[in-house]
Amino acid sequence: MLCEECGERQAEVLVTTVVGGESVTRHLCRECLKKYQAGDLQAVLAAVLALMTQKEKQPEITCPHCGMAFSEFEKSGMLGCAECYQAFRAQLTPLITKVQGRAQHAGRRPRLSAEEQERQQKIEALRTQMEAAVAVENFEEAARLRDEIRAMEPAREAEA
Amino acid sequence: MNDIVVSSRVRLARNYDDLPFPHKMTPEQGDACVVRTLEALRDVPESYRFIPMKNEGDMEKKALVEGHLISPDLLLRKEGAALIRSDGAVSIMINEEDHLRIQAFAPGENLQAAAENAFRVEEALAGRLNFAFDGQLGYLTACPTNIGTGMRASMMVHLPMLTLFKQMGKVNQVAAKLGLTIRGIYGEGSEARGNLYQISNQVTLGRTEREISEAVSAVARQLTEMERTFRERTLEKDSVGFLDQMFRSYGLLSNARRMQEKEFMAHWSNLRLGAAMGKLPVTTALCDELLTKGQSAQVQQAAGKPLTNREIDEKRSDLLRRALTGGE
Repeated sequence: MLCEECGERQAEVLVTTVVGGESVTRHLCRECLKKYQAGDLQAVLAAVLALMTQKEKQPEITCPHCGMAFSEFEKSGMLGCAECYQAFRAQLTPLITKVQGRAQHAGRRPRLSAEEQERQQKIEALRTQMEAAVAVENFEEAARLRDEIRAMEPAREAEA
Repeated sequence: MNDIVVSSRVRLARNYDDLPFPHKMTPEQGDACVVRTLEALRDVPESYRFIPMKNEGDMEKKALVEGHLISPDLLLRKEGAALIRSDGAVSIMINEEDHLRIQAFAPGENLQAAAENAFRVEEALAGRLNFAFDGQLGYLTACPTNIGTGMRASMMVHLPMLTLFKQMGKVNQVAAKLGLTIRGIYGEGSEARGNLYQISNQVTLGRTEREISEAVSAVARQLTEMERTFRERTLEKDSVGFLDQMFRSYGLLSNARRMQEKEFMAHWSNLRLGAAMGKLPVTTALCDELLTKGQSAQVQQAAGKPLTNREIDEKRSDLLRRALTGGE
């Protein structure tokens, strides 16, 4: 294998560098290793960083509501609006789990409006009816109930 | 436990669901956030003092920070404002990192009272306005480190002996395992002036508000036991030396004519230690009152005019003498 630094000589050593908490392993030749050991870290770092940014060259995701890019969050640690949590859910979930240890809210919830409570109770009643219909193999009725429930549920945003 | 726990505090972070987080708001949105909060609180029975940051003098703002009623961060926010309840037990910061930071305070070990107060305010607002909430992530905040309950429960504890015997490193490790942090309140960096620390939860998601409060209380109880053990042991070993240290500080605080804040904090710690152990003719409540009143901006505010550093130090010692000896 050729040296990943100069791309000319044969690689003989394996160097692991930790950048931003991520370790990057590279194969280097003796000449380039010398340069590295001599303290020419900057060159090596630049090379490693170039490698990493290359790896991360994915299309930028932005929040459709406030327009904030995910890369901005990575820099500041702050989200732009409540909708950002929806827009970046896939990226945020592992991060949140790491920081918080858990990923499911267990505390208080906003009190539901009377309207919302009524709606949820209706859906619950329809579900029970639907299960009863399935139990007696009245699938036609079950399908009708299923559609009725669907119509009452809030419109779900299309999964990306 | 009030020999060791000075005060309890609960802070709730909440955001309105239709506005961007403060750091992304236009000035108009920032003002709108303030206005709707004021309107929603118009009908509550308690009265609040409204303090917009842009109109407030530097001295007043600093005094509020020293009293822990607002954070230093709020001072930097153009559209930042605070609502302070007339009894000082509740403060609401508007447009800090989140739209709302509702804080409630209680003297001594009383997280429950603080939490009840904070949630009463939160419910009054939630009855009129919608907060950003997600079924999985709970209440949504500008920084993901506050999501879920949005709650930070904390206790201010006085730990002179654990500090003296270099136990704080060990204590910190134990706390970290439980999802809590302990850090100095006064002073910067690793310095904990007055040997005062704040225990608070770091994790806000996946636990109930009660679990969070209980974890903080449990660690506070543990620290109380440890601190008491060290106090008793020191008293057994060299009671004269220990008493000498307390009485010297008492003597200085009761007699000095010019005292700097740093010196005040060092002696204050001995004063409270002596008060908590029943060795000095002072109550812990008085000590805690002096702790706030003796801070520089508070001294200045009480004087009602700008003072030089030297004048502040003189006014501080006047205040201390009057409080401790009743004389002039």
